Amino acid sequence: MSKRYLTLVAFLLLVAAVLAACGGETVVEVTRVVTETEVVQAEPEVIEVTRVIEGEVETVEVTRVVEVEAASEEELSRMGGWLDTIVILEEPNADAGMARLIAGDIDMYADDVGGSAAATALASPEIQTRVQYGLYDELTFNTTVCADENLLNPFNNRAIREAMNWIIDRDYVANELYNGLAVPKYTTIAEAGADRGRFAAEIRAIENNYGYDFDRAAEVINSEMEAMGATLEGGVWTYNGSPVNLIFLIRIEDTRLEIGNYISNQLEDLGFTVERVERTSGELSPLWISSDPLECLWNVYTGAWSQTAISRSDVDNFEYFYTPRGLNSPTWAAYEVTPEFDDLALRLATNDFTSMEQRAEMTQEALFMAAENANRVWITSRTTLLPFSNDVSVTTDLAAGISGAALWSKTVRFVDRVGGSMTIGLPSVFTEPWNPRGGSNWVFDNMVKRGISDLSFYADPNTGLLVPGKAEGADVVIQEGFPAGATYDWVNLTFEPEIVVPDDAWAAWDAENQVFLTAAEVYTEPQTSVFKSTVYYPSEMFDATWHDGSPISAADFVMRMIMYFDQANEASPYYDEALVPEFNSFIAAFKGVRIASTDPLVIEHWGDDAQLDAENTLYSYYPSYRWGDETPWHTMALMLSGYANQKFAFTDARATEFEVERISTIGGPSLAILAEELEIAAEAGFIPFAPTLGDFITAEEAAERYSNIAEFARRYGHYYAGTGIYIMTGVFPVEGQAVLTHNPAHPDPALRWAGFAAPALAQVEIDGPGRVVIGEEAVFDVFIDNPVTGGPYAMNDIDSVSFLLFDATGAQVAFADAEAVEDGLWQVTLGSDITGELEEGSNRLEIVAVSKLVALPGLGNFEFVTAP
Amino acid sequence: VAQEAITGGFNVTAEVDVETIEASARRARNQAATRMVRYTALKLVALVFTVAVGVYITVIIANMGGHLDTIRRGAIRENVNLMLSQDIQFRMLSPEERASIIAETIAIEEQRLGLDRPFLTRSFEFLGDAMTLNLGFSQLLSSDSGSRLVRNIILERLPSTLVLFGTANLLLFFVALFAGLSLSRRYGSIADKAVLAMAPTSAAPGWFYGLFLILIFAALLRVLPFGGMVGAPPPDNPLDYALSLMRHMILPVAAWLMASIFLTAYNWRTFFLIYSSEDYVEMAKAKGLPDSMIERRYILRPTLPNIITSFALLVITLWTGAIIHETVFNWPGIGQLYYRAIGVFDTPVIVANVVLYAYLLALTVFVLDFIYALVDPRVRVGEGSQNR
Repeated sequence: MSKRYLTLVAFLLLVAAVLAACGGETVVEVTRVVTETEVVQAEPEVIEVTRVIEGEVETVEVTRVVEVEAASEEELSRMGGWLDTIVILEEPNADAGMARLIAGDIDMYADDVGGSAAATALASPEIQTRVQYGLYDELTFNTTVCADENLLNPFNNRAIREAMNWIIDRDYVANELYNGLAVPKYTTIAEAGADRGRFAAEIRAIENNYGYDFDRAAEVINSEMEAMGATLEGGVWTYNGSPVNLIFLIRIEDTRLEIGNYISNQLEDLGFTVERVERTSGELSPLWISSDPLECLWNVYTGAWSQTAISRSDVDNFEYFYTPRGLNSPTWAAYEVTPEFDDLALRLATNDFTSMEQRAEMTQEALFMAAENANRVWITSRTTLLPFSNDVSVTTDLAAGISGAALWSKTVRFVDRVGGSMTIGLPSVFTEPWNPRGGSNWVFDNMVKRGISDLSFYADPNTGLLVPGKAEGADVVIQEGFPAGATYDWVNLTFEPEIVVPDDAWAAWDAENQVFLTAAEVYTEPQTSVFKSTVYYPSEMFDATWHDGSPISAADFVMRMIMYFDQANEASPYYDEALVPEFNSFIAAFKGVRIASTDPLVIEHWGDDAQLDAENTLYSYYPSYRWGDETPWHTMALMLSGYANQKFAFTDARATEFEVERISTIGGPSLAILAEELEIAAEAGFIPFAPTLGDFITAEEAAERYSNIAEFARRYGHYYAGTGIYIMTGVFPVEGQAVLTHNPAHPDPALRWAGFAAPALAQVEIDGPGRVVIGEEAVFDVFIDNPVTGGPYAMNDIDSVSFLLFDATGAQVAFADAEAVEDGLWQVTLGSDITGELEEGSNRLEIVAVSKLVALPGLGNFEFVTAP
Repeated sequence: VAQEAITGGFNVTAEVDVETIEASARRARNQAATRMVRYTALKLVALVFTVAVGVYITVIIANMGGHLDTIRRGAIRENVNLMLSQDIQFRMLSPEERASIIAETIAIEEQRLGLDRPFLTRSFEFLGDAMTLNLGFSQLLSSDSGSRLVRNIILERLPSTLVLFGTANLLLFFVALFAGLSLSRRYGSIADKAVLAMAPTSAAPGWFYGLFLILIFAALLRVLPFGGMVGAPPPDNPLDYALSLMRHMILPVAAWLMASIFLTAYNWRTFFLIYSSEDYVEMAKAKGLPDSMIERRYILRPTLPNIITSFALLVITLWTGAIIHETVFNWPGIGQLYYRAIGVFDTPVIVANVVLYAYLLALTVFVLDFIYALVDPRVRVGEGSQNR
């Protein structure tokens, strides 16, 4: 903040203090200065808003200073990416990465860091950081009775498992063991997810009940252990004459080592004998996930789970984490849950509810049941850091960080200039071969792919909802009774009592004849589906080209459709057994697809896998494959023909069987095979799946495409031609570097994605009386700011603002919505009936602000005392 | 004709006719050739057997005596479950459908890694493939350019290891050798005492000095790169590429030298010191021969077998790279590859590294016997130690 603003703030605060002093004790004046930056072409302006609430003895004055920053001509005219080049290099060591960032050797380290690297990043004035959520620590219990009668497994006892909550001081784990880079976690609901805000009150209640209370834990555990036949002798629990030995599997790769040892100490303090088995993932997984739990080779394990995208719904977690159906493992198979919880979990996982209200009720019940069942106990949610240089601006995904953010390359830039070359460090580069069917799924490989590819829809890095990329909009029709909703206006959501799949929709694939079969040909009865999506692509899309200069065409989309089916069919020359499970997942909910129009392209899809958000209930058939490889039909044709001749293979399994290499479009022996296939294909005018694709591809187009890709490969040395805002112009596998160069032919203005550069996390501040008289009404102001605009959070962008009130004993007294007053200002009124219930002492008011722009709720709290 | 010949242990001193002598000489040559062939064959068999035993032990260790199968199965189950659970389509399936897909995926992966066959059978397959240098495909690792052929994986990393450690070790070898030789002739001098005093610095490994060098020259002074093989982006021009490569080699080579130069020079100096006090050296000195001639003819020559052995072993040691040194300098070499292979238990890559090194070592040992005979007249191939 400049000196000018600091002076202004100081002056206004002084004025506020003087006015407060002059106005008598019934007037509270609050002055707030907000700096707002907008990208418009205008002069800076100052807006002053004064609000006086009639009948109230409180005046709130809001002064907003708006600094207007216009986009420059250069920014307005820039097409594609902001940078001229991006060099991605391998730096496996996070600490070295921080040293290089500080030295200016790299501009960004695109992985989340914790531990000493995070401490360095926080301490360095050269580095800015953002928080990434999505990695959770927990304890997984062996819940069985041991087959050996002489062994006692205390965690077979539900009450003891539940009591484990009270022996863990989660604040200690988060603040001391993680040095503040974690937050306590009590439930299965993800921190970065839509349900976190929806169930904030229930989560808070569970936190309140299961907070650290060692004495309470000891009381429960002692009682239960005695009931199980154990005796406490000399401070040590024994069973059948031997100490009760707990085999604690502790992972050593991260802070779980410290967590495991901390909890072991707590268990020893309770009288257990703890055998600490400290090993790596590979060494422990045969025990905790594969061994027969009845053998009691282990009792408890320090688990961790990751979230790679912002979760739109977490209610299927109850089934996944708590019921035998969750994971294909003997550990899970042994889980016992009450029939009520089991039924709830199943219904929530299968979306068996008719309204969001019903879903909420069911989830509320399930949350408490899960906490009581305690097959696992949640400990912390890590808040690792994403470090980058101060002069860099980039999109970060709340759960997926930078490397997993779909829009990272669209927004990455130097804040003070357009163009330039940026160097980005990644823990690994080109980890596995790239190919669209069975290639690399490494997050760092996928980051590079995202840099050079486009998509029909992108995941909003702050909400997880899809936003249009190449597509321009969609209609979604969902069967009545399914409680879906739409947040954005680019999707048109409607409901119908029945959705019938038309006879001419493609419903299956005849691999032998290489044609689609229509619904009329496949089914004898008319088929219905849970939803129908219609995705609209703009006609200008076909003016754009792949990086090799070939225009995008409908054939690329049809190839994508075919690839959903063909390789899982034994009659296909391209059959690959390893792709059958993926197909089975797809076909289970697939009902039909139809190209309603080829120019502009409109694709309809009928299916049963509807989701709660209409934005995410879409099948676009865009030629981007499972792990993000954007692939035109002609390079796919080369891969298919080489595969059919068993020169290489898409998947590892098939490559092993054929004793050939896995296909890589970017390097290795595959390049020679692709060149060979290209020559053959060009000469023969090869059109794959000709009975179908022949309707979309002419011989001239095929010849031109093969010629284009040949020139592209000659120039850049690889075959990955995407359509993204950067072209991969350099692949240096041994040196561990990739060079991406600005694609000037990209049709999108660089400013298109500017709104996603930073997360609009709601910042909550509460102001109100520090002393409340019991039985009298009290009003609190809740200020909510948007850090991106620097101004107040717009009311339209806030989904809900609710408050929880806890009395001096820690008991929850009230939970209700706050009242919206204006942008950035909400109000909580505690009526006399509520304050009348409060006892003397210190009370806490907690605010949960749920934004529409970001999945993470804004939290704030305010302490006040009550007196008669 | 009186003649004395020493051939293969026979001492012929007599007055005999020419034919008898020729016959004896022929017989002796034949016996020597037979002995040579037998010795060579036995040596080769012994070496191959030793390599086979070493490789099989490696196979057993790399697979933890078969326990790796259990680890692999657990890891596959965990990975498949986790991977599929990230898939929204998969999560929306019924429990039965999910279980079926998981089981199918696990079976495919187990089959790919050969877990559907007994470990004992596979262990001998590993051995057979290794001994015939059929390195095959890796199980999990890919080469940097995406190849699964173990040959490619190794060959891709070999040049960078050779260029770094070749440079560092050759510098180290020759500088230390000649420094040691020189010091042995200047026993007790200031330089000798300085090297003696600095020798304990070799207690710390090269990467330890590397950390400080990086801190000083990359982080603080910012005059040399933190690590990697070439600048970013790699230069197109071969000359610029070579210059960039050399610039990136400065710190790792310096660290390598710092860690070893004094101790190695001290070792050579001590070694040469023993030879420097031989009577024939003293005699040469007394005769007033120049120092260079004394060093070359009277000290270096009789120690040549040792020097050659040391050099040969050094050359094959280059093959293995240095795991931590490469990691600290982020150098894409064999050491890092080996480390990754051990980390993920990729048996074919581990075995390939071992078998290639074993063969190189065996070959070196084999060839050295002949080289000793060439450079040292006291040595006779195949005659046993009593005749040396």
